[in-house]
Amino acid sequence: MVKIKLAQSENFGMGTVITNRVFGEMAEEALQAALQETSRLERLLSRFIRDSDISRINVCAGTGCQGIGSETCELLLRSLEFSERCNGSFDVTIGPLAALWSGARESSEPPCEAEIADALPLVGYRDLALDPREGTAALGRSGQSIDLGGIGKGYAADKVLDIYRKFGIGSAFTNFGGNVAVIGVKPDGSPWRIGIRHPRSENGLIGVITTDGRSVVTSGDYQRYFIGVDGKRYHHILDPKTGYPAESGLVSVTVVADSSVAADALSTALFVAGMEQGVDFLDSYPGTEAVFVGRDLSVHVTGGLRGSFQPNKGIEVNWMR
Amino acid sequence: MTGWIILLVILAILGTGAAIGWSYLSKEHDEARNLPLDKVNFSRLKDGTYTGSYEGGMYKWRANKVQVTVVSGKVTDIKLQSPINGDTEPKKKDLLYGRVIEAQSLQVDAISGATLDSKAYLQAVENALKQAEK
Repeated sequence: MVKIKLAQSENFGMGTVITNRVFGEMAEEALQAALQETSRLERLLSRFIRDSDISRINVCAGTGCQGIGSETCELLLRSLEFSERCNGSFDVTIGPLAALWSGARESSEPPCEAEIADALPLVGYRDLALDPREGTAALGRSGQSIDLGGIGKGYAADKVLDIYRKFGIGSAFTNFGGNVAVIGVKPDGSPWRIGIRHPRSENGLIGVITTDGRSVVTSGDYQRYFIGVDGKRYHHILDPKTGYPAESGLVSVTVVADSSVAADALSTALFVAGMEQGVDFLDSYPGTEAVFVGRDLSVHVTGGLRGSFQPNKGIEVNWMR
Repeated sequence: MTGWIILLVILAILGTGAAIGWSYLSKEHDEARNLPLDKVNFSRLKDGTYTGSYEGGMYKWRANKVQVTVVSGKVTDIKLQSPINGDTEPKKKDLLYGRVIEAQSLQVDAISGATLDSKAYLQAVENALKQAEK
């Protein structure tokens, strides 16, 4: 009998903490290849790295197109598709607003209205021109910029799993700062158990989702936020239509989907759009499910998760659909 | 006088007996108190019904036997098959076993949450180091 080997890692990347756990004969080789791929993708996709594809598109906004790698092109195409189907609730051209609010987090003071009014018109995914055949991309107007914060980690997680599969790995998970994607089941044959963090209790869980291949991604208002002098919580998920942190009545949305890129983008879109519209978005992506946590901490779960969502003690579930 | 001697001898014998008895008793108590409970990895349980017994210390006073049921990788039931001798309150065990079932029920492999800011992690490390400096 071949002994199942385990390889695991925990490191910083893509502005967060990345953990991997890989089981299989080639576990170590697969993990090393995945770590290399992760930093390669970060060098292509980060707006904080000077020569990345995204930085080059951003710098040349309004002046001309840039040659980009096939992965960047693929991801931008997917981004536009999510923007289109989710009514603009998800938009990678959120860059100018994201920069404004990230500065605000440093000083714990929200940007002034005039600053937001200046940045808001620069947000618009329709200004992103892509030519997949030529492998080029361009932003229409000067001052526009792309930020892949709402989709890049999910994309990278999918790519990591692709690498694991190439190495014949049948059991693994990768976790990009809360964006979890898995292959197969655990070596003992039981499904992976992914906890959903309680949005108001740091060590608490809303419940657990068991999965044997689907990705679980959560967007919430409890990371990357600051409390203003007005006592208000200013979180990092911005509404592309208002220029302010989204206020849709939700404090956390978890999306379960076959691909991590879909789970990542949809969790952002649903958080921004709110529960009612969010459920409509899910309908256009068959097989996707969600756990919504409202401001009153009520928990609403779509019917497809019956059997795989287990609420924590004391959590009452409102089943939807 | 003879009566006094006999009384003292009896007391001495009783005393020694009690001391010897106590030493055995305390050894037994120590054993129970220091009973090692090795951590069970609740994320790796195979389905099935398992019987477990504990032979109960030096004098088998605490011997008992339980049956544990695992379904879908989780402990779903614990039944007491033979209680500890003289235990008049076996009901209390239900409460205890309930806690075991509860504790393992949310064991997770990973946690999905809003994207974690690595700065927060680094801040924690920094705070820890600050304390170390003091």
